Amino acid sequence: MEEAVWAGVRFLHVLSAMLWVGGQLTVSLVVMPLARRTLEGEHRSTVLRAIGKRFGSLTAGFFLPVQLGTGIALAWGAGVTWASLLEPGYGRVLAAKLVLFCVVMVAATLHGATTRTRPRLARTMAMTSLVTSVGVVLLATLLPRI
Amino acid sequence: MPATFVRIERPDRPPPLPRQVSWHARANAIALVWALLAVCAAASAGPLGLPSWLPVHLFLLGTVTNAIITWTEHFTVALLRLPATSDRHQGVRLAVLNTGVVVLVVGATAALTPFAVVGAVALLGVVVVHTLALARASRGALAGRFAHIGAWYTAAGASFVLGAALGTMMLFDAAGPEVQQRSLAAHVHLNLWGWVGLAVIGSLFTLWPTILRTRIVEGAGMVARRALVPVLVGLVAGAVGLATGMRWVALAGIVVYAAGVLVCLVPLVRTGLRKRPTGAAAWSVAASLVWLLAALVVDVHTLAVHAPHEVHAVLQPLLPLFLVGFTGQVLLGSLTYLLPVVLGGGPRAVKANTALLGRGWPVRLATLNLGLPLTLAPDPWGTAAWALVLASAATFVLLAAVAVLRAWEVTASPGLVGTGLGAALTALALVFALGVPTDEESAVTPTGRTSTVDVALGDMVVEPGTVTVDPGDALVLEVTNEDAQPHDLRMENGTRTPVLAPGESATLEVGVVDGPLRGWCSVMGHRASGMEMTVTTTGDDLPLAEHGEDAGHGEHGTDSAGLTGERLDLSGEFTRGWEPVDAELDPAPDTDEHEVEIRVSESEQEVAPGVRRPVWTFGDTAPGPVLRGRVGDVFDVTLINDGTIGHSIDFHAGSLAPDEPMRTIAPGEELTYRFTADKAGAWLYHCSTAPMSHHLANGMYGAVIIDPPDLAEVDREYVLVQGELYPGEPGDAEQTARIHAGLPQGWMFNGAAMGYDHAPLAARVDERVRVWVVTAGPVGGTSFHVVGSRFDTVYKEGAYLLRPEDDGGSQTLDLGTAQGGFVETTFPEAGHYPFVDHDLRHAEGGAHGHFEVEEP
Repeated sequence: MEEAVWAGVRFLHVLSAMLWVGGQLTVSLVVMPLARRTLEGEHRSTVLRAIGKRFGSLTAGFFLPVQLGTGIALAWGAGVTWASLLEPGYGRVLAAKLVLFCVVMVAATLHGATTRTRPRLARTMAMTSLVTSVGVVLLATLLPRI
Repeated sequence: MPATFVRIERPDRPPPLPRQVSWHARANAIALVWALLAVCAAASAGPLGLPSWLPVHLFLLGTVTNAIITWTEHFTVALLRLPATSDRHQGVRLAVLNTGVVVLVVGATAALTPFAVVGAVALLGVVVVHTLALARASRGALAGRFAHIGAWYTAAGASFVLGAALGTMMLFDAAGPEVQQRSLAAHVHLNLWGWVGLAVIGSLFTLWPTILRTRIVEGAGMVARRALVPVLVGLVAGAVGLATGMRWVALAGIVVYAAGVLVCLVPLVRTGLRKRPTGAAAWSVAASLVWLLAALVVDVHTLAVHAPHEVHAVLQPLLPLFLVGFTGQVLLGSLTYLLPVVLGGGPRAVKANTALLGRGWPVRLATLNLGLPLTLAPDPWGTAAWALVLASAATFVLLAAVAVLRAWEVTASPGLVGTGLGAALTALALVFALGVPTDEESAVTPTGRTSTVDVALGDMVVEPGTVTVDPGDALVLEVTNEDAQPHDLRMENGTRTPVLAPGESATLEVGVVDGPLRGWCSVMGHRASGMEMTVTTTGDDLPLAEHGEDAGHGEHGTDSAGLTGERLDLSGEFTRGWEPVDAELDPAPDTDEHEVEIRVSESEQEVAPGVRRPVWTFGDTAPGPVLRGRVGDVFDVTLINDGTIGHSIDFHAGSLAPDEPMRTIAPGEELTYRFTADKAGAWLYHCSTAPMSHHLANGMYGAVIIDPPDLAEVDREYVLVQGELYPGEPGDAEQTARIHAGLPQGWMFNGAAMGYDHAPLAARVDERVRVWVVTAGPVGGTSFHVVGSRFDTVYKEGAYLLRPEDDGGSQTLDLGTAQGGFVETTFPEAGHYPFVDHDLRHAEGGAHGHFEVEEP
């Protein structure tokens, strides 16, 4: 029974990460180019802003709480302590992943905050967030091997 | 992007750049990335255990080669007013070049020779194409004031092709050490003096006055035209002389080269005197020329006093100074001037970028030029100076990067910048996650004890291959380079020795050992060829290491768990045609002066039925030849080392100061060992090169028999040298662990386990038989016994314990490690009389044979 619970927690963690990274990829690689090609001026910015807003609220309302909750639970279950985060191997990979995750959050926040005022910075931050998220996934795949 | 200008001084008017220079900016950005990588590699070479050639090649192949390709093309086109090559053409060229560098560097670092070769070929191809294009273009150009420039760049490219071809050949590591060293010296000379030096000097004729914002003095053009041929001929002669070992050709060539360069510097210096340098660009270039002069002096001096194969080893420690002081600084100065120009953006932007690149330049310049000589000081000063120098260089690279990024903000897509930023952050996280931690938190508490171990660097081998210490012990390695070429030893935890010339030694403080630790030679290719070692701690996964504890207390650990099944199967037959080492002992030759030549060799021997093993031998067999004489005889032994590592010889039968005669000689060398055998006995001789246990375990021992004056006549005399058999290749981890644990895999009389069971020794009833026994070890002795007989004479370590007229008898001759003696017996009737080491583990493990006694 306990195994099943842990599997469920892990599933939620992976699912939520998948939605977040996959969502970003979809927006950047599919939605944005199409929107830029097919939609005109005012209309385009309205649509894009709406997409951004919805993705933002999904992040704050679902992704972030689930990710933090399941992440902390998994770490607790694996017996991770603050001290163990600095140990070479699993600890350091996890620590790097957490720091990179914080970077993703900072970049995403900056993206949201500058969309209107500094569109170029906002786009830069969107790409930073996307690539760094993939980096987090990369580090996650390294975890079990170490 | 707006068109920009490089204002190179012209008599009539400044030449407008014929096209957009966006690809220059791109190429420079690539060069900057390589520079940053080189700085990072130099800074982290210690902690990450990277080889020392890595930062050098990142810098020279990445930064410098990109810069030379870009700028030589640019200057040629601009000054000779040629039509520009297409951007796409240039883009492909740079893409191939940089891919080649990546593949080469990764391939050589990871010891994947095919990769490295592919990378090198790509790189060579780009330079060849580039050089041919320049040569063709400049030949067609009008012979103007700048006509010389194409010729200088063509010469530079040709030098690179020669130098890089040599470098590629060295990736194969096939040549002998001396050839390798000479090729290396030629490679370095061609690339630094040719590719870098010629390209720089060719450019400076126009770039230097441009930076100074003046005209070059009259007559410079003629100097540039006339000096090139002697400079190039000198360099090629120098390189050929170095590569082929023609010392005086090499010296003469480089002297001619240096003289030519000096002549070229004259108009440059005169120009500088007329218009004093101001600003970062001018002073950096000026400082770089001082380093160039210093390097020329040092090089000529080195060639004058050292043989070609020593040149590289002597110059190697100084190379970084030249790379940073001359190459790095001239590039820094040139880019300080050129980068704002190619980045463009109008006069204001140029001014702003110039100010940006010049920020804090007096401090940076002083730090770099004062810090560089201090890098030669011993640690911690040397390291601190390097930190300052690298910080100074990195500051420029970062400033330049800011300038490039700033200029690109107009055009660079935010997507690209964002992707780059994200990738960089991910890379940083990966480095943190996977990097080898510096020893901050040790898992074990230091014991406070220090183990000191001698380590020998040989020909593609580190001896011992395995060192075992208790966890928490501090380890100190006394490292000696016993090979004929330079080596170093670098441990996984970042500690390392400097590169050691042949015969040099260094003390390496490895620090507290808390787990397995690898070490290797970081000279390119050597690790891949087997120059690796391992430090293990007792209790590590290596099961044999645990037995190290027992080594001193005898062999009680034999057949404990982990070793079962590792005994040799001795029940088989020797290969057809196998012959034992002849045990019959001839009488001493009728001379009191024995001339003996012993050649050390490496071969294979059948050491047990059906088991062939590599052995190191004196005179082609293990054990080596038996020397026999009488008290007072003189032995004049010539030892010739035909092996591939250092060896030596130690005769217990003589008495002398070990320093000279027992010294280790390198492969190909020989020594004379002259001793007077003024004491009787059965003596051991053996190789005494460290680690001695390895040399003895692999067969380097033999016997010297000096007859006691009253030695009785007997009917037959035999000699048996008892040795031990260890598994594995000489010096490998398994063998080392077994030796340290004192756990031979078998025991042998005269180099073969059970040998005389298959080739019995002959005797007849009532004959008096004398058997001389010498024990070689390296670990144990013997308790020699002949089943079915008793000894009536026992002579051990120089004295009779028993004589025939005594009442008593003797059952065994007990000898410790490295002792000798003889026994005499007669056989009462025909039959098979086994002779054994009565330590029955040894007897059953191969120390066994028999006498076949027949009716008279």
